[in-house]
Amino acid sequence: MIVIESAGITDIGKKRQGNEDALFLNDALGLYVVADGMGGHRAGEIASQLVVDTISKYIRQSANNGDAAPNFNPDKSLSREANILRAGIYLSNRVVHEASLENEDCRGMGSTVSAVYFTQGTLIAANVGDSPIYLIRDGQIKLLSKLHTVLAEQQALNPAHAKELGMEFRHVLTRAMGTEDSVKVDIYEIQCFKDDILVISSDGLSDKALPEEILTLVNQNGLKTACQRLVKLANDRGGDDNVTAIVLKVKMVKNARLSLDRMLTTAKRFCCRLFASKRT
Amino acid sequence: MPTLTLKFKDKPIGDYHLQKGLSLTIGRRKNNGVVIDNLAVSGHHAKIDSVGDGFVLIDLQSKNGSFVNEQIINSHWLKHGDVINIGKHSLVFKYAEDEPMPDDSSDKIEKTMVMDTSQYRTMVEKSKPDIPKPLIRQNDEGATGGLAFLAGGNGNIKLTRNITRIGKHPESDIIIKGLWVGKTALTISKRPDGFYLSYVGGISKPKVNDKTINRATILNDLDIIDIGPTKLQFHELNPDKTRFLKIKKHIKTPAAEAR
Repeated sequence: MIVIESAGITDIGKKRQGNEDALFLNDALGLYVVADGMGGHRAGEIASQLVVDTISKYIRQSANNGDAAPNFNPDKSLSREANILRAGIYLSNRVVHEASLENEDCRGMGSTVSAVYFTQGTLIAANVGDSPIYLIRDGQIKLLSKLHTVLAEQQALNPAHAKELGMEFRHVLTRAMGTEDSVKVDIYEIQCFKDDILVISSDGLSDKALPEEILTLVNQNGLKTACQRLVKLANDRGGDDNVTAIVLKVKMVKNARLSLDRMLTTAKRFCCRLFASKRT
Repeated sequence: MPTLTLKFKDKPIGDYHLQKGLSLTIGRRKNNGVVIDNLAVSGHHAKIDSVGDGFVLIDLQSKNGSFVNEQIINSHWLKHGDVINIGKHSLVFKYAEDEPMPDDSSDKIEKTMVMDTSQYRTMVEKSKPDIPKPLIRQNDEGATGGLAFLAGGNGNIKLTRNITRIGKHPESDIIIKGLWVGKTALTISKRPDGFYLSYVGGISKPKVNDKTINRATILNDLDIIDIGPTKLQFHELNPDKTRFLKIKKHIKTPAAEAR
């Protein structure tokens, strides 16, 4: 069992007319999603909201259904829960894609998605696009998602060439939700520990703040104030884009299989019984 | 229309007016629109094109590069107040005071957008470096890891799963023995920057290179994992690294002694 505390806010920023970010957080379900929409007029808002709604609905259903198999053919290298999250992302991709085909105004709309889903003892991080998921553990901040931008992918392939590309390519995504009828998701599943902190944000924050700055702000503040401070930081530095941040903290991890605890309790019980039998 | 002010060490040298529909070239040769007579400047160094309502600065593969606001650029949409640096000279891009500036939001590249996959491929293709070096796509399957049993088992295991559970439990991905070993003793999971080992449960804690792991640690190539009576060695199975590994193995003994 895992107990999580979380806070999240989204802000329009200082330059944009509408907020194209969407977020979802639910501690009971253990699901956290940030989506950053794009597309003209209000299409970006529609795309990101569709993504968030579809994933959360799908996960809630799957959690209630218990062992019901996911709709999509599962990837054998992933755990059951990771497959559920993957299926939810696939489904929402299809929903957004179909909506964009049906509605003239929404043509070409898309969204990023970054989701974190907690299981019995692990956390699953999945993403499409450039909304980062940071893991803060042992005083270090590490990226737990892949950035699907031209710049980041070129950096992995050919760092020298990536420098030539220039900063304008950092906003050009190589994949997104809803732009095609299928999408590739990067999924990571890791063991989670007490006091792990995760920060899920939109690029409105990660463009303006270094990971180290996020680390300091989150370490110094409570979850809610940390969120507000992060948004304020991005807005103070221009606020060119919508800013969204979810900060969550793992309060307790109870491992049912932790044999040390179990052994101690059995030993205690055994001793009690021993003493009890001696007295009688 | 906007003006460019050419400066050398903060001293203005000349003003150039940009016009809609016309390009302005910048370089050392006399046939440029803006002539900068300095050896650090290429013959045809850069140009400014009028595109729509705005202006784009494009570097013409100059030797020393073009900079805007101290950032090296290939192409850049010029905004009011941008400072272009070419060699030791600078050019300030400014609109006249009462002039309407192009809408910032029309600057699409500032906003997030998705690249058409085919468009992206051709761009990657086009922008290949001159050196005939094959651009190998690093696919996820390429960079994996493997475990080799040194004790308590036999053979090699490839870490194909995102999370590999190791323990006594019969449903574990790798089943190991040992009295104090937990049902799930440890997990190894893939992360963007490599493989991480995490301790899960059991009295016997895993050791990586003789260091006890209480929580999690990143695994490096050839790390030795101890868990109860079992000893495992981690290998990076990266196509690039494997080659490196072979070389490493040859010189392993003297290097180890030197250490």
